[in-house]
Amino acid sequence: MTDAIQDEIIREFDGLEWLDKYGLLIASAKKLEPMDEDSRTDENSISGCQSKVWIQSYKRDGKLNFNLDSDAMITKGIMALLLRVVNNRYPQEIANINLYFIEEIGLKSNLSPARSNGLESIIKRIKEIAKNEALKDNV
Amino acid sequence: MTGFAKDFPILEQKVYGKQLVYLDNAATTQKPNSVIDTISDFYRTDYSNIHRGVHYLSERSSERYEEARKKISDFIGARNPGEVTFTAGTTDSINQVARSLEPSLKGNEVLVTGVEHHSNIVPWQMAGAKPRAIEMDEDCNLLLDSIDITKKTKLIAISHVSNVLGSVNDIKKITEIAKDHDVPVLVDAAQSIQHLPLDVKDIGCDFLAASGHKMYASTGVGVLYTSDRFSDLMPAKGGGGMVDKVSLEKTTYQEPPLRYEAGTPHIAGAISMGAAIDYMQKIGLDKIEKHESDVYSYARDRLLEMDNVTVYGNTDRMCGSISFNMDQIHHYDAGLIMDKMGVAVRTGHHCAQPLMKSFAIEGTVRASFALYNTKEDVDRLIEGIEKVEMMYT
Repeated sequence: MTDAIQDEIIREFDGLEWLDKYGLLIASAKKLEPMDEDSRTDENSISGCQSKVWIQSYKRDGKLNFNLDSDAMITKGIMALLLRVVNNRYPQEIANINLYFIEEIGLKSNLSPARSNGLESIIKRIKEIAKNEALKDNV
Repeated sequence: MTGFAKDFPILEQKVYGKQLVYLDNAATTQKPNSVIDTISDFYRTDYSNIHRGVHYLSERSSERYEEARKKISDFIGARNPGEVTFTAGTTDSINQVARSLEPSLKGNEVLVTGVEHHSNIVPWQMAGAKPRAIEMDEDCNLLLDSIDITKKTKLIAISHVSNVLGSVNDIKKITEIAKDHDVPVLVDAAQSIQHLPLDVKDIGCDFLAASGHKMYASTGVGVLYTSDRFSDLMPAKGGGGMVDKVSLEKTTYQEPPLRYEAGTPHIAGAISMGAAIDYMQKIGLDKIEKHESDVYSYARDRLLEMDNVTVYGNTDRMCGSISFNMDQIHHYDAGLIMDKMGVAVRTGHHCAQPLMKSFAIEGTVRASFALYNTKEDVDRLIEGIEKVEMMYT
């Protein structure tokens, strides 16, 4: 199944050299609103990342939204892309989503469990939250 | 390829279209052709299990394995090869000492430093001892005049060279102090054996641990030097090969080193360590030390010249690793960008979280050098740093 937002991201990264990809990620990171200091708690952090990552979620009109932040800009840039794809969707949709854009834009190596940016842990956490919210919706 | 790099086939390659510059040598070093060929030839011609074999190949393998032990024994200045045990690496060596000394360590303390790798902290904790750090100044010079050895100090376990900073600790002075208190000393030589000449008799240590893979040999193999003074230690591992007589009632052990080598060891790995020593000795240890010192000093000077770079640690003698951070730039970002510039560095806490805490940082970028690195490699590192800075502005 294709997804318009993911396809748009793939087009943005198409044909770029690695350093240009990182440049684009840094630019995306700069545009992402930073999480306020008080929310950057251990409870909101995701372990297994060489850079720190914080996550928050909230529901609006039945749709799930996330805030993500990181102390490293390239990680934060990847977070910005993730947010574009997953935000403002119904929980069940997020729980089932296939994030194919990650492989397509060449960040698949970032997905292996051993990778230090912990992208896999972040996606796992997002899906867990979505699954829990979906269960609540079905009660 | 110029200089010693031409002996290392892996360094010939380009990564992301750029000539590879490998500066992650404190994690592991690359292998010269002579070591690769030795391993490959060994499996092609002489390989079999060692000791106790009555046949030709077993004799050949045993001979080559013991030859390697003799080479290492001479290389580190041991009194005899019986003081050299093959292990799986530095971590394994330290864990074996922790297991063997556990009865005396339990409830007591091990004196370490604030720059230790986790592998020289955790095994002591697992043996029930409390590691306590010798004080150091803000440049990471150990304050040895104020060293505090108490009745509870059952061992001093010190890295020779920091895997993060490259600071060289005065291990000879430490063993002299330890002798006055009759406390044994373990030296973690993982980051020194490939850079500095070692002589355990001169150092006066009781244990010394090192890894093969950080000195141009195979992974999965290392050594533990155990002074003859400790020839009757309880072995950390039991099994075949290390016993004298076994009955269900009672087992007696072999003399060292076999006493400490249960099971089939990493035979090819041990032999590769012998080949790596041959390679280094052919170049000459003095020549290696001089070359590395030139490159290291050049790297340090270039980094210290940069306005936006903080270099950690500043001790009288340094080698191997240099850790730094760039102002306002996460070490992880810096490492990722440098990788795409063809420069391999390591980022993070480098298994030294207590040291990171003392600097109040999460991690660093670490460039670490080996004999094949050159000043041109340092120039590429600096270009990488400049590129990182450019991408942030």
